[in-house]
Amino acid sequence: MKLFLSALISVEDPSQTHHWLFPEKAEILYGGIASCIVFAGLYKFGWPMIVKAMNARTAKIQKELDGAAAARSKSESDASGIRTALGDIESERRKILAEADSQATAIIAEGRVRLVKEVAELEAKAVADLAAARGRSGEELRGEIARLSSAAISSAVAASLNDRAQQDLIEGFINSVGASK
Amino acid sequence: MSDARIEAYSRALFEVAQAEGNLNIVEDELFRMARAIEANEKLRSTLTDASIPAARRQQVVEELLGGKASNTTIQLVSLIIGAGRGRDLPAIVNRLVQRASSEQQREVAEVRSAIALSDDQTKRLAEALSKSTGRKLNLKVVIDPSVLGGLVATVGDEVIDDTVRTRLEQLKTRI
Repeated sequence: MKLFLSALISVEDPSQTHHWLFPEKAEILYGGIASCIVFAGLYKFGWPMIVKAMNARTAKIQKELDGAAAARSKSESDASGIRTALGDIESERRKILAEADSQATAIIAEGRVRLVKEVAELEAKAVADLAAARGRSGEELRGEIARLSSAAISSAVAASLNDRAQQDLIEGFINSVGASK
Repeated sequence: MSDARIEAYSRALFEVAQAEGNLNIVEDELFRMARAIEANEKLRSTLTDASIPAARRQQVVEELLGGKASNTTIQLVSLIIGAGRGRDLPAIVNRLVQRASSEQQREVAEVRSAIALSDDQTKRLAEALSKSTGRKLNLKVVIDPSVLGGLVATVGDEVIDDTVRTRLEQLKTRI
């Protein structure tokens, strides 16, 4: 400090002889020694840390490079897998569409056959129902005719059963029973 | 009514009629009365109605049979009706007729006709049926207008049917 102050004073003082820019030899000596000591200290204590930091950084960068390479490899593998999968999906899509077409064709054919069969059955049933209805109507008509005929016959027979007819029936019974042995 | 009770009543009627010496007449009249009760729902319900006093029911019997049946028959029917056994009178009389027929070594032949038969017809019919079945018969004629005409004779399990009703039924079936 004293030296620095004296230097400042010397600058102010025109009587001083040393150069305004270059220091004194002693200062250079002391400064050089101090610098060497500083540099030696730096080399002794700072350089290993710098080397270690640089090595660590190198290792980190290398690690990052390795990670990037691995990621790239994985990405390429994934991309390959995706491309393969895309190919598989397309193939699967074609297969599914083909199966769907096949099933749709089969269902349509089966439905057509079933419809034809059902229509045939309905037609047969309708024909049978019609025939049955016709038969029922005929039977009902015949039944009604038979009932009316029976009633008419009963009425006519009852009206014709006078005393003479009754006696004839009784005599006929007696004669037939007597002759039956 | 139990079979034992029907049997007991029929035996009592048989003994009384036999004791009075007019079994055949009483049996025949009871048979006609039983058939009349069977055929006439109103008469049957009147004679079997427990809410009508027994004396009134017996009076109905006497009014119904008075002058048309023997006194013994009227008294026996009154006895059955008065005892509240009017519903069982046909069964009792049937048993009585069977008993009387068995007593005479005969079998009951029931003949249904739409009109009454003359005595001559009844006699000839009895002879014809006896000849046909080979058995001695106790002929009972029932007037049944539902047969319309002709006769149907039942001898045991054998039925000889030549009625207009049956012929009409056969005709209806064929139609």
